[in-house]
Amino acid sequence: MIKIEHLTKRYGTTLAVDDLDFEVRPGVITGFLGPNGSGKSTTMRVILGLHHPTKGRATVKGQNYAELRAPLHEVGALLDAKAIHPGRTARNHLRALAASNKIPLARVDKVLGFVGIDSVANKKVGNFSLGMSQRLGIAGALLGDPAVLLFDEPVNGLDPEGIRWIREFFRSLANEGRTVFVSSHLMSEMAVTADQIIVIGRGKLITQGSIDSLTATAKGTVFVRASDHPKLITALKAQNGTVSEANDEALSVSDLTSDQIGQIAFDADVVLYELTPQRASLEDVFMDLTADSVEYGSSGVRNEQ
Amino acid sequence: MSSDLSLGSVVKSEWIKFRTVRSTVTGVFVMFALTIGLGALIAWATRSHWNSMTQVEQVTFDPVSESLIGIVLSQFAVGVIGTLFITNEYASGSIRTTLAAVPNRMKLVSGKLVVIIASMFVVTEAACFGAFFVGQSIFSGAVPTASISSGGVLRAVFFAGLYLTLLSVLSVALGFIFRHTATCIGFFVTVLMILPLITLAIPESWRVHITKFEPSELGNAMTSVITPSGDLNAWSSLVTLVIYVVVVLAIGATLFQRRDA
Repeated sequence: MIKIEHLTKRYGTTLAVDDLDFEVRPGVITGFLGPNGSGKSTTMRVILGLHHPTKGRATVKGQNYAELRAPLHEVGALLDAKAIHPGRTARNHLRALAASNKIPLARVDKVLGFVGIDSVANKKVGNFSLGMSQRLGIAGALLGDPAVLLFDEPVNGLDPEGIRWIREFFRSLANEGRTVFVSSHLMSEMAVTADQIIVIGRGKLITQGSIDSLTATAKGTVFVRASDHPKLITALKAQNGTVSEANDEALSVSDLTSDQIGQIAFDADVVLYELTPQRASLEDVFMDLTADSVEYGSSGVRNEQ
Repeated sequence: MSSDLSLGSVVKSEWIKFRTVRSTVTGVFVMFALTIGLGALIAWATRSHWNSMTQVEQVTFDPVSESLIGIVLSQFAVGVIGTLFITNEYASGSIRTTLAAVPNRMKLVSGKLVVIIASMFVVTEAACFGAFFVGQSIFSGAVPTASISSGGVLRAVFFAGLYLTLLSVLSVALGFIFRHTATCIGFFVTVLMILPLITLAIPESWRVHITKFEPSELGNAMTSVITPSGDLNAWSSLVTLVIYVVVVLAIGATLFQRRDA
């Protein structure tokens, strides 16, 4: 269980995290989403006691991280897979970590086997691919068999097989009742991985909830093709419908259900050729939510709808 | 399965990290080579040129400090070992992994200090005693030699190792302050090599009051059997150097405690 209470973190004049407030519960996978530079890594660093909060606090099981008696037994974290001395072997890296928290040596070999890099355990980390480094980082997080796990952008650099493996692995951790907190800037990834989602932008909480509740709040549109578009548009507008996109080929209608549109077309003597409800994708929801808080936006590329 | 983080487990962890990077192994090898090798080379040169040396040179010849001359260079190897022990972690970013495992920063500093002091004490003392005995065996038969049992000789050789050990602690402290390898080494070299050159430009009436407090001069006094004129005696020099190191270490530890990692 992780609790963030009115957390604010300022670096000089830059406000990285702004009065953030949320909880991460055990037994589910919680996705931590936001564009690059939105404060995800900063928040994770504060949780781990690496950065000192300017205001507010972050606690794990009700305690500040620094007060944990045996941190690796309580919390496992993967922040940056490449943050290991390149000249050290994978096994020696884990041995040093294990020794600090009195974790037996047998556990090192066990986690190396679990993440599937035991064959390169005695190779120098500097030669590892990003995917192998991610697996080593995950092995490090698992060393103390902790109940709380944090992963910062763990999917980066993994191949498709690795991505599937990591999803199933997160699922099994959550099913064991552990707290799994995973950050990502990819909504599509979180849509298939996480149960709960916390979205931040520019250091502020934008929304949180289950994946289903998030898509439900998003406005759906209906794709319509009919015999007489101008006539249908007039009729739809009379019934408070919004036609967001109209050309000779098709209409995109919102604020009305497909049932209502069908009835309106019937009443207006317009023949419908196609009537397709379009569910907003999570990606759309995410883009809409964070549109105002992207630090380096490319305004020209995205079509305004 | 829960157990407190103890200093012992932190020391064990840091010891594994310290000895499993090549820079440490290479650094120790270079330290040995310079301390013993350079001493032997100079000793051999002295022996072969003894008869052509002036009488003044022959009278002031000190077989102890001559055999320990290698530390003038090997002190930089020691500085590199100590610096990299800290700055490696910042360069790779692994300081965050380390602190996630050991969030008590003062315990981490203590663990690193135990490792650097214990390991550097052993290897530098071994190198200094090695240099002394190699040097005397080269002098033997042609040039005056010193016996380890003569007054002040054991102390001078032992203090040579202590001097190098203290410098390794100083470089660790600089690592915590500057966090970048190049800055630390630059500072280290400036204090030990450039500072004495700069003070040469100061009028002599002032200089005599300043030079004796320079770290390199403290080392010179510590490793001499007879205190060089104008210097603090060996024990006062040791105490002064310890004070310097403790002050710099206190600054480093305070910054490490306060800063974001």
